Amino acid sequence: MRNEKAAIRNWTRLQSRLGRQAARSVVGSGLLSSLAGIGQAWCAAVVLGHALVAWQVGGQGAAFPAWPFILFPALAMLRALCMIRADVAAAQAGIVGRRRLRGEVMASILAGGPALLRRTHSGVLASLVVDRIEALDGFFGRWVPASVLWMAAPVLILLPVGIMQPRAAVILGLCGLAVPVGQAVFGIGAAVASRNQFLAMTRLQARFLDRIKGIATIVLAGRTEDETRRLGDAAEELRVRTMKVLRVAFLSSASIDGAMVVAFILLAVLDGRQALAMQASGSSPALQQAVVASLFALLAVPEFFAPLRSFALAYQDRAHAQGAATAILDLPEVTERPALDGARTVNANGVMVAFDDVGFTWDPARGPALEHVSFTVPAGETLVLAGPSGAGKSTIMELLLGFIAPQNGRVLFNGAPLQSIVPDALSRVVSWIGQKPVLFAGSLRDNILFAKPDADEQELANALRSAAVDEFLPTLPNGLDTQIGEGGFGLSGGQAQRIAIARAYLKNAPVLLLDEPTAHLDPATEKSVFESLQRLAVGRTVILATHSAAAHMFKGRRIDLQNGRVINRQGAA
Amino acid sequence: MAMQDQTSAVQPPARLHTMPVQPTARFTDWQAVCVIFGLWRRQGVRLVAGALLALAALACGLALMQVSGLRLAGCVLGEVVVTTALLRWVGVGRVTLRYAERLFAHDAMFRALADLRVWFFQSLAHGAAAGLGFRRAGDMLSRLVSDIGALDGLYLRIVVPLVCAGLTFPALLVIVGRQSLVLGVAVGVLFACSSFLVPWLIARSGQKAADQAAHLLAHLRISVLDLVGGLREIRAFGAEGRMLARVQAADAALLQGQMAVARRAAFANALAFLFGQSAVFMVLLAIGGILLPRIGALEGVSILFLTVAAFESAVTLTRAGLQAGIMGVSARRVVEMAVQPAAANTQVMHENAPADTSIRLNNVRFRWAEDRPWVLKGLTLDIPAGARVAILGPSGIGKSSLAALLLRAASPQEGHIYLGGEDIATIRPDAVRSKMAWLSQATHLFDDTIRANLLLGRPDASEDDLWKALDQAAVSDVVRALPEGLDTWVGEGGIRLSGGQGRRIALARTLLAPAPILILDEPATGLDAQTEQEFLRTLNTVSEGRTVILIAHRLTGVEKLDRIWRLSEGVAKAAAA
Repeated sequence: MRNEKAAIRNWTRLQSRLGRQAARSVVGSGLLSSLAGIGQAWCAAVVLGHALVAWQVGGQGAAFPAWPFILFPALAMLRALCMIRADVAAAQAGIVGRRRLRGEVMASILAGGPALLRRTHSGVLASLVVDRIEALDGFFGRWVPASVLWMAAPVLILLPVGIMQPRAAVILGLCGLAVPVGQAVFGIGAAVASRNQFLAMTRLQARFLDRIKGIATIVLAGRTEDETRRLGDAAEELRVRTMKVLRVAFLSSASIDGAMVVAFILLAVLDGRQALAMQASGSSPALQQAVVASLFALLAVPEFFAPLRSFALAYQDRAHAQGAATAILDLPEVTERPALDGARTVNANGVMVAFDDVGFTWDPARGPALEHVSFTVPAGETLVLAGPSGAGKSTIMELLLGFIAPQNGRVLFNGAPLQSIVPDALSRVVSWIGQKPVLFAGSLRDNILFAKPDADEQELANALRSAAVDEFLPTLPNGLDTQIGEGGFGLSGGQAQRIAIARAYLKNAPVLLLDEPTAHLDPATEKSVFESLQRLAVGRTVILATHSAAAHMFKGRRIDLQNGRVINRQGAA
Repeated sequence: MAMQDQTSAVQPPARLHTMPVQPTARFTDWQAVCVIFGLWRRQGVRLVAGALLALAALACGLALMQVSGLRLAGCVLGEVVVTTALLRWVGVGRVTLRYAERLFAHDAMFRALADLRVWFFQSLAHGAAAGLGFRRAGDMLSRLVSDIGALDGLYLRIVVPLVCAGLTFPALLVIVGRQSLVLGVAVGVLFACSSFLVPWLIARSGQKAADQAAHLLAHLRISVLDLVGGLREIRAFGAEGRMLARVQAADAALLQGQMAVARRAAFANALAFLFGQSAVFMVLLAIGGILLPRIGALEGVSILFLTVAAFESAVTLTRAGLQAGIMGVSARRVVEMAVQPAAANTQVMHENAPADTSIRLNNVRFRWAEDRPWVLKGLTLDIPAGARVAILGPSGIGKSSLAALLLRAASPQEGHIYLGGEDIATIRPDAVRSKMAWLSQATHLFDDTIRANLLLGRPDASEDDLWKALDQAAVSDVVRALPEGLDTWVGEGGIRLSGGQGRRIALARTLLAPAPILILDEPATGLDAQTEQEFLRTLNTVSEGRTVILIAHRLTGVEKLDRIWRLSEGVAKAAAA
């Protein structure tokens, strides 16, 4: 637990450091803008002081100096430019940070590969990449610059104020120091409160989402009234718990308000007393100077507290970052696969596949998935893996695909251990068709060319014909350019499987792995898909995992698996 | 068993057959926002009180700067215009009111949001929108949920600041105008520009940007889902680089769009700021008597401090304008999904369901929407009470539509469905559903305990009933072996159970329901052949005395059936019994 917390803190710190470079321009503009604001306060103070003293003397004082009237609008323009620059730079910093993180997370996901999906739902990963990282915009754009500015800008403002009126600087400084103390006290309080409530809050939020997703089940079970009432209760509880946290959290911004109010009142009262005394003694040039300094200090108060306020506002952006950190740290790190001495490629013409006493365990609690499995499939022959699900068929497939490595024994391609083959070479020799092919959002053509982006029209046409895609092509609205996948035209299970077969034709790899390719098809479709697969199998080394009775169409070796062991062999397997 | 279940659990959500969801009602963003405000009427007092508190806090804030300036200036002139006590009161008022305002406004907002969520759930449940869930548009629905979350900004970030600005405006006009009419009008116009005109302009231009941003975000989401869901394909085809490039392109497009919005917002912000600076500058000019009629020094100080403070609060409105577009879109999506045209529900349906449970479909024609093809084209079926029938056909032929019609999740465009001789259109939907228990791939396991999931089928079931149902569904051994037994948390969508176990828990729930008719829509999907046969054999015995309607793409041969129909071309053809 403590380790995890430290890891999160380190991650946040690392991200702050990385983000600070991009935020440098935000900080620079912010500081310049603060300085200009102070300059403006000075201009206004000079004008006001002059007017007040002139009034006090009897209306006819010296003429107003011209420079404040020129400097003030000039500084206003400068500040506006600074603001634009700071805003744009903040947006840029947010973009740079998110792009970098997204790249890193995608790399981790790709490195983790399909094995990752066993631990984490694909929807969760997608929302990490999209939403969680999107929510970090404020962390890079607001929090990182604010975490520098909240110290630097007030100090910068204190300097001129101190020169003009040291006492005001002391008051401002002390009030300013009270802010971090208040932040710390109430911030910790809020953190404790939210930790106490957090689990309950997330659970309640998840409940709403869950009930909405399952709304049909609720309605059809006739439980609408019940669930509505419970949802109302949950929402009420969520409110009560959230308010408990906010009650403390808002105190931290109230502490800033309080410090600012104290500064205002102290300055007004103390400087007023001084002015009153000076006015009585009637020394007008000294009075004017003192009044200008006092007004200047008063006008500088909002400028002084503005960066502290944005710091407090940006605090929640930091919380977002910590939330994302938990999820990101959960991903596997990208490690370069060690370049083995024996790293080699496989001769692409005819591959013999063999298992040599292979054992694999996913989860020790559930026992081994494979134990002492050995078989050999000579180049160009077919092996059928039979047995109920859970017997280990899918594990064999994942081993052959290189998604996982055997814990005992060896997987051999043409006699070479799989682990010594470079991944690119392995993916070149193996084609795989699973239960349900993933269709990517895009045209049918893109989906098939996925297997070989540089295929020419002739190759594509051959693949379409061999996989019998051309049989249903005319029924699609735009033929090969029909959009399929998410948000596109829905294809039936059999049609989708034919696309997978077409991909395999295009890829033209010597080893063909078929993992229950007809599990979701009706018998008529299953038969015709098997026919296409039979054509595809010619001349390739095929390993077919299935519990379909129609598998007898594939002549060749066969082994029966049960509980991760080979219980029966047919042919020369 | 375990292996199979794990692989089926990692399949991406079934996307092949998710039909596009088409809201039937059309709203403009503004109308949608009005509907939302209408819903919040119940919390109206609190919401208004929150806004008033905000106003009071703002007034104190304005006064604080003004009176401290006045105090100082008064001293210069040798008089105490503002007492220390007044200063202190304004100061304390400013801090406490601001705190109270934030607390109160947030509380009111959460109450209103809670109402909104309950209303949304209820509308979805009551409207034809239940058909949505039936058609497995789960992702769509979860996006709507985040839309509702986005609406909290509507009150806190738009309504409250707007109300405050709306009252600051006349106050500023009067206070400044009393000293100098010209200056008052000038400052007033500048304030209006800064807090109304600029936010309005940015909101107007932001609407299109919000639509586009939503589109780009959806695009990124799809390409990421493709990459994550397709990890196997990608690894198998060595396509890592290509897919990564695709995601990065979508990411770049999104970020570029955001940059354009950010740039525009930065200019709007600066423009609003310059309006404020112009106002302060004019006050300075008036104090100096340059170009504008001169005003008194004391009044000058008071007006200057007031103007500075007033414009400071106006800055938040530019940001509000920027978010208005996004919130309008959110409001529209939520309202369109929830508010269904009343026409479909106007028929009188007070009838209770008759005791007889025979079902007859007479020449039923059905399609999901006007622009979708006909699914059923004159379907006629006769299912006597207590019969065991199967309806077969390849996927997409209309089997699930038939289930939706029977359960009244959808209504036929032509023809009639009779339950015990009564047209089900005249029977209350919940009365119809109390007669039918439903199990399909879309049956949802809730993120709750096994017990709570089972009790959904029959809330008054005893412990024995639960175990009996689990026994019948052949899953009681599994549950018994779990350390927490019936109180085991099943996780989101039953993710902590294996796929097959989850299906059987869902079956147990269906069997637990006291309904005389069981509608089983592909109940064995995801089970291996052996488990499937066992499962179907259980069905033969447990459903004794109930009508069973089995919907499947094929039979395994172990089912005991009285009748079999094959669906094709929108009609049913009798097959061998």
